Amino acid sequence: MDANTMIDSLSTQFPDAVFDTKVESKIRIFAKVKPENIKDVCMYLKGNLSFGHLCCEFGIDFPDRNEIEVVYVIGSYDHSVVLTLKALLPRDNPEIESVVSVYWNASWYERETYELFGVKYLNHPDLRPLVLPEDMLGEWPLRKDYKGFPNKTAKNLV
Amino acid sequence: MAVEQTDYEEIPGVILTDRNAISDFVKKTKAQDILNWGRKNSLWFTVNAMGCCGVELLSTGMAHYDTDRFGIIPRNSPRHADVLIISGYVTKKYLPALTRIWEQMPSPKWVIAFGDCAISGGPFYESYSTHQNVDQIFPVDVFVPGCPPRCEALIQAFFELQKKIEAKQDRGTEY
Amino acid sequence: MMDEKVGPSEMIVHLGPQHPMMPGPFRLNAKLRGETVVDSEVEMGWLHKGIEKILENKTYLQGITIVDRICYLAAMTNEEAYVGCVEKLAGIEVPPRAQYIRVIMEELSRIQSHMLGTGEYASFVGFVSMFMYTIRDREDVLSLLDSVSGTRITHSFLRFGGVKDDLPEGFKEDVKRVFANLRKAIDSYEELFSSDDIYRSRTVGIGVLTPEVAKDIGVSGPPLRATGVAFDIRRDEPYLVYPDLDFKVCTRKEGDVYARVQVRLDEIRESMYIIEQCLDQMPQGPLFPEGTAYGRRSPIMRVPAGEVFNRVEDPRGEMGFYMVSDGSDKPYRVKIRGPVYPTLQALPPLIKGVRVADIVAIAGSMDTCTSEVDR
Repeated sequence: MDANTMIDSLSTQFPDAVFDTKVESKIRIFAKVKPENIKDVCMYLKGNLSFGHLCCEFGIDFPDRNEIEVVYVIGSYDHSVVLTLKALLPRDNPEIESVVSVYWNASWYERETYELFGVKYLNHPDLRPLVLPEDMLGEWPLRKDYKGFPNKTAKNLV
Repeated sequence: MAVEQTDYEEIPGVILTDRNAISDFVKKTKAQDILNWGRKNSLWFTVNAMGCCGVELLSTGMAHYDTDRFGIIPRNSPRHADVLIISGYVTKKYLPALTRIWEQMPSPKWVIAFGDCAISGGPFYESYSTHQNVDQIFPVDVFVPGCPPRCEALIQAFFELQKKIEAKQDRGTEY
Repeated sequence: MMDEKVGPSEMIVHLGPQHPMMPGPFRLNAKLRGETVVDSEVEMGWLHKGIEKILENKTYLQGITIVDRICYLAAMTNEEAYVGCVEKLAGIEVPPRAQYIRVIMEELSRIQSHMLGTGEYASFVGFVSMFMYTIRDREDVLSLLDSVSGTRITHSFLRFGGVKDDLPEGFKEDVKRVFANLRKAIDSYEELFSSDDIYRSRTVGIGVLTPEVAKDIGVSGPPLRATGVAFDIRRDEPYLVYPDLDFKVCTRKEGDVYARVQVRLDEIRESMYIIEQCLDQMPQGPLFPEGTAYGRRSPIMRVPAGEVFNRVEDPRGEMGFYMVSDGSDKPYRVKIRGPVYPTLQALPPLIKGVRVADIVAIAGSMDTCTSEVDR
C-alpha cells in the first residue's frame, strides 16, 4: 500500500470528518480532522492501515486566527509512511477527546499539552501536570501571550 | 561560659563548657591550621549530577582524570560529604530539594558553582522555569566558567578551594 | 495514578530526586509489600528548562547551540535532526564530503554514548570495575571527537548546508590506532559479561519485553531491537549517505536485560565498521554548496514558511523534530520528540511484581536520559 492509496482509503471511509488532505512526498501525508471524530479515525488507522506508532502529539497556538491546533504525528513499524493529523480547536475553550485507549503512550503527551497550552482532554485517566511545578498550573506558558517570558532577572552576564 | 543545666553535679575543680565555646577558642589559635590542613586534603563531594555539566563531573571522578589521588572522592549520601557542586541549571521545581540536600550536610561545608548555568543561568537565561541567580542563595566559594568546562578546570577549582581554606578566607567555616 | 492507601505490611517508598542512579533527577514512588513492588509511579519535571519556548526567541543559527543541550550524552544526533529540518524547508543540498563527515561524527557520538550507558548500567548491578574500564576507554573516543570539533560534549559542529571544519591531518591514523584498542576492549567486555555467574543470574530472564508489548508502549532503539523487531531509521527512512554504506541492524530474540546490553555492544562494533568505510569512501570536495554564501553567511537567515517532521536514529531510539516556520528569521514552533519519553512512561507496568533490587537493573538497562524527557 503506498501513500496515495492510504490517503484515498481514509477519505472514503470518513468523507465528512477528514478534509484538506495532501500527499507531500512518498513518505509524508497530511490531513485535517474534525475534533469530534478523532478517536474513530485513530482506531481505523491502527486497525486497518497498520499505523501503530504514535510519534508525538502536541499543540500550536495561533492567536491571530483565534485557534489552537492539536497535531498528531503517527508512524508505523511495518512501512515508512508518516501521517500528520490536525484538529482545530477554539482558543477560548479547547476541548478534545483523549486517544489513550487507542495509543497507550499518548498519556504523557496529553498531560504535557494540557499544562503548557490549556487543552482539556475528556476521558483521560490521569490529567495532572507533568513537567511544571504545581504552582505554575494555569499559566499556560507556551501560549504566545504569556507574560513571564523572556526572563530578564539574570545577573553576572558578560 | 558555664552551662545552665542542673543535672550535672558540681565536682570541685571541674569547669563545664559547651562545644561552641571550644570551637570558638580553637579558631583563634594555631590549632585551626592543623584542622584546616586535614580538611583541605580530604574534600568529599556529593554525587549530584543535574545538567550537562554532570557528565563532566562524573568523568572527573573516574579513571583518567582521577581525583582520588588528591583525596577527593564522590559520596552518595549528603551526610557524608563536605562539598556541594552545583553542576548545571537549577529549576524552580528542584530548588527545594537542593536546599534540603544543603541543610543535611554537616558543617563545615563548601559550594563550588560549576558551569555557566550556576553562575548566571547559562544559555537558558531567558527561561521561565530555571532559577537564574543561584549564588544569592548558597555561599559560593569558587566559580568555574565554561559551557561545559573541561575536567582539568574542575581539578583546578578544587585546588583554589584548598588554597582558600589554607589562607582562612573561605565562606564555609565560620571564622 | 497510584493509590495512596496502604494495606497491612505495605509501605510507600519515594526514590527521591537525588539518587545514585546517575542519569538525572526523577522520582519513583513505589508501593511495596515486603520486597515486591505492587504499584509504582514516575514523577518528572526536575530538569525542565523550556527549550521549546527559548527556541522561539532565537534565530535559527543561535538555535544550534541550544538544541545541542537537549540530550547531552549524544549531542550530534540532536543537531542533525534540527539542521535537517531547516535544510528540508529551505531546500539546501549538502555536498558529499560534508555528509561523510557528519556520518563519522554521529557514529563516534553513538559509540561513546553506548559505552557510557553500558558502564553506568554495570555499576547499578554492582559491577563497578566495568564502569571504570568503559570510562577509561571512552576517553580515547572523546579525544577523537575533541580533535575535530573542539569540545568533548555539546559540539555545535553542524551548520546549514555543511559542517564547520574539515577533519584534521592524521585523523585516519588516529582512528586506526584507537579502534585497534577498542576492538580488543569490547571483546573483553563481552567475555566478562558472559562468563560471570553472578552477573548472569541478575540479568538473564529479568525484565522481559515481548514484541507486542514493546510496540504497544512505543519504545524504539536497542530495547525494541532486543525483542526481535528490526526497526532502525537508518534503514527505514535513510538520510545522509546511509544508503551507500553496508551495515546490519543488530537484533536479539530474548528481550531481557542481558539481550539489551548485548545489542549495545554489537552496535558499537557496527559503528566502527561504518566509520572505517566512510574514511575509505570519502571524496575530496567543498564543505558547503557551491555558488552559495552558506559558509560565510550572516546569522540572519529567513526560512520559507512551511512545516516538516524530520527523524533520525539516536543512540537511544527515534528522535524527531517538528518545525513550524512562518517565513521570518525565528522559528514559530519547534516540537522535540525524545526517544526515551515513552520508555520512562512505561516503567510502572514493567516493574510490577519484581523485587526492589531488580528495579534499578531494569530501569538502568533502558538507558534513560532524564534531560531529554523534561527538555
